[in-house]
Amino acid sequence: MADRMLAEYPSEAAIVHAIHRLREDGYVDIEAYMPFGSHVVEHALDRPRSRLPIAIFVVGICAALGAYLLQWFLVAYLYPLVVGGRPPHFPLAFIIITFEMGILFSGFAAFFGTLGLGRLVRLVDGVQGTPGFDSATRDRFWLEVSMRDPAFDPERTRQVLADAGALRVEIPEGSP
Amino acid sequence: MSKALLIGRPTDAALGDQLLGTTWRRGGRTWWIVFAISGALTLMLFSLITYTVVTGIGVWGNMIPVAWAFGIINFVWWIGIGHAGTFISAILYLFEQPWRTSINRLAEAMTLFAVLQAAMYPVLHLGRPWFGYWLFPYPSQMEVWPNVKSALPWDAAAVSTYFTVSLLFWYLGMIPDLASLRDSAPTRRRRFIYGLFALGWNGKATTWRHYRAAYLVLAGIATPLVLSVHSVVSSDFAIGLTPGWHSTIFPPYFVAGAIFSGFAMVLTLLIPVRHIFKLHNVVTEKHLENCAKLTLVTGLIVAYGYITEWFLAWYSGNASEIYQAWIARPLGPRATVFWITMICNVLVPQLFWWKRVRRSVLALFVMSLLINIGMWGERFMIIVQSLQREFLPSMWSSYAPTWVDIGIFVGTMGFFLFLFLLFLRLLPVVAVSEMRELRHDLERGVEHG
Repeated sequence: MADRMLAEYPSEAAIVHAIHRLREDGYVDIEAYMPFGSHVVEHALDRPRSRLPIAIFVVGICAALGAYLLQWFLVAYLYPLVVGGRPPHFPLAFIIITFEMGILFSGFAAFFGTLGLGRLVRLVDGVQGTPGFDSATRDRFWLEVSMRDPAFDPERTRQVLADAGALRVEIPEGSP
Repeated sequence: MSKALLIGRPTDAALGDQLLGTTWRRGGRTWWIVFAISGALTLMLFSLITYTVVTGIGVWGNMIPVAWAFGIINFVWWIGIGHAGTFISAILYLFEQPWRTSINRLAEAMTLFAVLQAAMYPVLHLGRPWFGYWLFPYPSQMEVWPNVKSALPWDAAAVSTYFTVSLLFWYLGMIPDLASLRDSAPTRRRRFIYGLFALGWNGKATTWRHYRAAYLVLAGIATPLVLSVHSVVSSDFAIGLTPGWHSTIFPPYFVAGAIFSGFAMVLTLLIPVRHIFKLHNVVTEKHLENCAKLTLVTGLIVAYGYITEWFLAWYSGNASEIYQAWIARPLGPRATVFWITMICNVLVPQLFWWKRVRRSVLALFVMSLLINIGMWGERFMIIVQSLQREFLPSMWSSYAPTWVDIGIFVGTMGFFLFLFLLFLRLLPVVAVSEMRELRHDLERGVEHG
């Protein structure tokens, strides 16, 4: 059962034009596919900023705090040992591992956060089987309109997409 | 300036065909010969590692007082080389330097492979590498924990974090290109393999939004990370009391030296790759010249580090420090290394003041090799020459590496080359999606300006 309609555009300018057309016609549930991270297209889609950096920050701070506590626990509490004149609890010596662990886990959060929020690593993405969709990673821009969009109408939407300069309009075979 | 970053006006498709095409190109005879040599050296490396582990660390030339020797020289040298990759991919990204785009993938691959070589040394240097996991705090019945107030666990944390974050940054940056490879793969098998690694990327704007946020944050965290790693490595020395080591100049001096040697290695690798893959339109003279300028700047900081060392040795009034800096290094055993270091690291980069030198590919290549040699010499000088002449004259000695030391060092170069050649063959050498973005930005700049 198809749930979306896709249209291919030859350039950044063409897809931006199409996005504006759809917006004027009251479409809200639209998505773009592009071969590079175009600011212009993202701006036209008018999405909020990604909240991923906040999550990364929280993970990083927690990891750093955890690393500090772990170091204190190991060498100041469990096995207090004075080496090189450094007292058991010696914050200066703990800074490096605290910092490194903060960075390490921020890195994990950034990477796995992108996979999660970006909805990667899925076997089915809803656009597979769309004829010619391979061009989305090459040089073409694809615009997707969800069939659940209140403004969606199979014939009219197809017409709007084509009028905006689409090279082709397709309905993915493999839509769930 | 913008025009010089990308010659001609290739379309997105043409950029993809050119830059992804390197992956589909079959290896020529030269490639196979070099690959076979590097493969043989890699085999030699692992044979010698096995020999070392089975026989014991005594097969190396390390002794008392020169207990660190080749293992740590090569560790510091390799990890220093890695720094330029992260400098290019993270720091230049934050500073919005568009010229980083076409060389960041290659430089970061270099980082990963160099850090991999580096990481082997301290583990082997443990003597009993199978106990390497003692560096990590795991619940053991011995109830003995790693001493996190020592520089060695700092090293383990810094180097492993550096490798992991560099790998994540490199891989994240490559996902859109892997998807491009998947979609343009000539055979089904390649489509499947690249498809697996592309993790289902389809260029959705929502994914790009989070991706770009993550990429920026990773660049932001990799920046202090890269500065911290060599600072931590320098702490291995600076927190010790050995004359020639115990100095607060060490962290900035090491970081500058690392970026200096890293840029030299970037040039050493970039120049032949640019020639072989005919990347002259995306890796232009401007890129090479900028690398040369950064080499010059960091080289001057390194020279300043040397001057500070000499001055502070004298100013300290400490007999051992003065002897170390003014007599043992320039005149003592292995003084040749000192003079080679000075020539390669202080005099050679001064040629980069001339534009003609910066624009001559041959000069850049030769000078980058000399700087690599010079930086290896610097590590030798700091480690071996300092330990040869510590406080007690009765302890003085002179160090010579064994054939196993030299074999392992040459082996790591082979292994590095082996991994690098595989990278050239299997993955896109230039970040294609970023080049497309750059092309569009440049065009917009041209239109508006």
